[in-house]
Amino acid sequence: MNVSGRDDIVIRVESLDLAYGNHLVLKNISFEVRRGDCLVVMGGSGCGKSTLLKSMVGLLAPLRGKIIIDRDELWLNGDKKRKETLKKLGVLFQNGALWSSMTVFENVAMPLEIFTDLGVKEVENLVDYKLALVGLAGAGNFYPSELSGGMRKRAGLARAMAMDPEILFLDEPSAGLDPITSKRLDDLINELKESLGISFVVVTHELASIFDIADDSIFLDSESKEILAHGNPKDLLKENTLTKVRSFLERKTVNNS
Amino acid sequence: MPSSCDEKIPRIEHHQNNSDVSITICGYWSLNSRERLRLLRRWESLVLQWKDVLRFEIKCDESLVWDSSLVVFLRNANRDLSVNGGQVVFLDLPAGLNKLLNLADEGQKRNKEQKQDPPSDGFLSMEALLKPLDFLGALVISFLNLVRGRSVMRWRDFFASARNCSASALPIVTLISFLTGVTMAFVGSVQLEKFNATIYVADLVSLAMVREMGALMVAIIMAGRTGAAFAAELGNMNLNEEIDSLETFGICSVSFLVLPRTLALFVMTPLLTIYADIVGILGGLLVGTLVMGFSALHYLEQTQSALTDMWEVYSGVSKSLFFGLIIGFVGCYKGVFSGRDSASLGKSVTSAVVISVTLIIIADAFFETAFSLLELR
Ligand SMILES: Nc1ncnc2c1ncn2[C@@H]1O[C@H](COP(=O)(O)OP(=O)(O)OP(=O)(O)O)[C@@H](O)[C@H]1O
Ligand SMILES: [Mg+2]
Repeated sequence: MNVSGRDDIVIRVESLDLAYGNHLVLKNISFEVRRGDCLVVMGGSGCGKSTLLKSMVGLLAPLRGKIIIDRDELWLNGDKKRKETLKKLGVLFQNGALWSSMTVFENVAMPLEIFTDLGVKEVENLVDYKLALVGLAGAGNFYPSELSGGMRKRAGLARAMAMDPEILFLDEPSAGLDPITSKRLDDLINELKESLGISFVVVTHELASIFDIADDSIFLDSESKEILAHGNPKDLLKENTLTKVRSFLERKTVNNS
Repeated sequence: MPSSCDEKIPRIEHHQNNSDVSITICGYWSLNSRERLRLLRRWESLVLQWKDVLRFEIKCDESLVWDSSLVVFLRNANRDLSVNGGQVVFLDLPAGLNKLLNLADEGQKRNKEQKQDPPSDGFLSMEALLKPLDFLGALVISFLNLVRGRSVMRWRDFFASARNCSASALPIVTLISFLTGVTMAFVGSVQLEKFNATIYVADLVSLAMVREMGALMVAIIMAGRTGAAFAAELGNMNLNEEIDSLETFGICSVSFLVLPRTLALFVMTPLLTIYADIVGILGGLLVGTLVMGFSALHYLEQTQSALTDMWEVYSGVSKSLFFGLIIGFVGCYKGVFSGRDSASLGKSVTSAVVISVTLIIIADAFFETAFSLLELR
């Protein structure tokens, strides 16, 4: 327990098995995320990173195991309790998943309109602020189909942050962004972590990002379907001896030099 | 005689000593070459001859020209020759060729690792039966929540859907019901002439319109127009994970997406049906006055006397309430549960239309049977 009297662990995943129908994707996954930390989920394409994220945000019931978010077990309780838990989360999907019939502004504003009693002006100010945070000030009137892939990602991030969640789940936030925007995004993540104490679970392939934002990481493997390595990526780079992990982490360091 | 390697044809040279065969690939290997096919046929018979050979050495001639056809040939040769336990050795292949062969091998290995069980076909399973019921239950609950004033449904979504399925459907509904009225009047007049009772055309057209044709025509137009649009719209949202992202915000997708659309159809289909009834009767009137020579007043008076029992009108309109529900429900259900690729989206839209039209006809037959058993007709 820390000073605020709250549990230090914000997410605990215990021996989780995930499957689509009878196609097993991940098995025996266990890890924890400390409050205010950023956990990075790494692994090759198709190893089940998005799947893991999906089940942590209440979209895919696990075959076995537990997901505990802020002391509430996500999949044990009924739909109603789960919805309450989900309100603490913000999610950025891999492709943005913006509501295509609404403008960017309406996308960010809608959760606020539904779940809060804020006035029109207040909502407007909040949305403008969130859009400015992700560098989309002035793009509020565009429809998702009029945005570039990277802009959609950032609009999705603004929407994920709309309700000031305690935990943000980001699926490849920097894929499709140029290096400068991508760096700005990493800075934003670090800033939110420090100033607001938001916890993050981030799926990313960008090695530069990984070293920038991660406090902890897990490396998923599509062959064994388990966690292959677990720890701070900088330590993994120094100490881990598995070839799969090394080649993943070193590729970028080689490119960087 | 010039060496065959100089010509633009692929060639395979081979000689055997004891249990070894050495093979030299030479010539001009191209996907477009017709010679290659002839060569491959000869190669097949060679492979059969070499059943007992233990070791194959494959090398390439220096002046060899090649493309993918040779890569494929070597991959297959490697497989065919080693089937019977022979050992295949590639000697000094051109560097590029070697790399391509290795890349293909690796890719194949990776594919094998990722091969997954085909999804089980849920047709006629318990789930196929329970899922629609489950969805219907969710729709009813979200409707009750709306009545209790605790729904996330936005009324502007309802009005947008309502406008889409009513005002913008007016032209097509007008055209089709008018022509239905005209057609029925012509068909009826031929029969009624035999009995010298042509004025009863007014009865025939008006009763058929208000009892059956108005509701049925509108329902079928709505199924093809609005039901299909709902399935496509929601299916595309599902494809984009938009429905998932609603759920993660704790916004009930049934209340937010399905309820306003179904409700709009539930309200608008009866209104359109009443409109179609009137337009159909006007179609009959046109034939009655212009072709059959009745005065408009006479025709309308006859119509009025046919419709003295308002139950005739109500029964058609009450059926259309259910038709609206069926179309909205099937369209949204097919959309929300469509697969995550564009092919299954197309299938969902088609089956939304087919299923709603089928259900509409079944429901219609059911209503008519019930009405007549209850002696309401
Ligand atoms: N809706 C689905 N139905 C069935 N199988 C799925 C579905 N979504 C993903 N899969 C399978 O689950 C496995 C993991 O997919 P997932 O999307 O989690 O991978 P990923 O790690 O996010 O990959 P990427 O880095 O490419 O996004 C894949 O083998 C994929 O085929
Ligand atoms: Mg993914």
